[in-house]
Amino acid sequence: MTQTETSPSDPIMTVRGMSKWFGNFKALDAIDLDVNRSEVLCLIGPSGSGKSTLLRCLNFLEHYDEGEVRKDGALIGWQEGPSGPRKPLKPAALRAQRHHIGMVFQQFNLWPHFSARQNVAEALRQVKGLSADDANARALDALDKVNLKDKAENFPSGLSGGQQQRVAIARAIAMEPDIMLFDEPTSALDPELVGEVLTVMKDMAAEGMTMVVVTHEMGFAAHAADRVAFLESGRLVTCRPPDEIFGAEPSDARLRSFLQTYRERNVV
Amino acid sequence: MEFDLFLRYGPDLLKGFGITLLCWIIGSAGGAALGFVIACLMRWSAAPVRWVLGAYIELIRGTPFMIQLFLLYYGGPYMGLVLTPVQAGITSFIVYGSPYFAEIFRSGFQAIPPGQIEAARAIGISEFTILRRIMLPQTLVLITAPLTNFVIILSKETAILSVVTVPELLFQTQTMAAETFTYVEPFLALSLFYWLLVVLTAELGRRIEIRATRHLKRAASST
Repeated sequence: MTQTETSPSDPIMTVRGMSKWFGNFKALDAIDLDVNRSEVLCLIGPSGSGKSTLLRCLNFLEHYDEGEVRKDGALIGWQEGPSGPRKPLKPAALRAQRHHIGMVFQQFNLWPHFSARQNVAEALRQVKGLSADDANARALDALDKVNLKDKAENFPSGLSGGQQQRVAIARAIAMEPDIMLFDEPTSALDPELVGEVLTVMKDMAAEGMTMVVVTHEMGFAAHAADRVAFLESGRLVTCRPPDEIFGAEPSDARLRSFLQTYRERNVV
Repeated sequence: MEFDLFLRYGPDLLKGFGITLLCWIIGSAGGAALGFVIACLMRWSAAPVRWVLGAYIELIRGTPFMIQLFLLYYGGPYMGLVLTPVQAGITSFIVYGSPYFAEIFRSGFQAIPPGQIEAARAIGISEFTILRRIMLPQTLVLITAPLTNFVIILSKETAILSVVTVPELLFQTQTMAAETFTYVEPFLALSLFYWLLVVLTAELGRRIEIRATRHLKRAASST
């Protein structure tokens, strides 16, 4: 649906030859990936395949060791420069990059001493420098988009998991990011709460938000994604439209066996 | 029992109480401020700074307060540091308390789930703002009880200052006892003063705790 206005050669983020080590363990191995404007890209793969690490490298919550991650041409996290050891960006410069990259976490990570409205307004005030009134107005708009305007004064402890995750989404979209990163946004939720979060994400996709989603929700990947990337052991095995991943028998044996486990589970 | 003695020694005792309060309040506030700075540096500064501060914490916690006080008051002049008894008392109080306060703050910082801080970083909030807006409000709630506890301990440690002739409460009481050969009444009165301090501190801590945890109650009632 959003594919119509997406030109395939219009990447907002490019990943080239990106590798990441945790000690001696190579978590990511020479990843090449483009994220196109207004597309929904899902990252799937077994636990430990590196999909969350890949996502976290996109906003430099993890420091990638080799290769490049660029957003609109600008190198993420590291200072541009001649070859040799790279220096991380100055904190203010890294923060400026992150202002345009929204992120939603598996565990919501709301601030428990703030109400839903305050959670959303906090960065608007502290980062964008809005007045209290403007920040609150925009926070309420963002909460309205995730259908939680009536819960604006609730504290996180007074919200269900699905509601908390929608507040976390509102917190990110209120900053008007160019791209949103989702790290297993529904994995911590009770099954009956998954739907409300996925609905909000589909609405965002329909509005043209660029989204990279690490997920175990194969249904979401199959129906909402423009492309699905399959990772295993730190390698990007394949990245194709969902019907080629989930449709006919995939050619790749590892992808086949990974999807088989899901099919078996859903039959039960 | 000769309680009329208190009329005679009342002014001295009250003066002693004032000095005790002065050393205790400035010592606690200064120790807490220094401890907070140490805890922040232990968290955010480079490794060499952390090693130095770690050694400082071990050294101060590993030695008795009275010896630190002796070293500062009697040893200070050898290093060109001549202090009055009250100055030495307050300074050593600040130094003595700081590592304990630092550890209380550290434990409070560590109790904040890292995901909350990560979420703040991911949205581009600065480290200082994270400390001020995300960490401190939650940390203070968590550490009010241990802070109150340690400030109460410090209130009684002020008695040690009498060994370097700080004219605080115990010093005045001892003077009174020595001059009048009465012992029970003065020390009973002395206990009463310290007990009063402790009760007031505990009550203050309780009120701060109630105030600081208001949002938790609001959250619970909004479900």
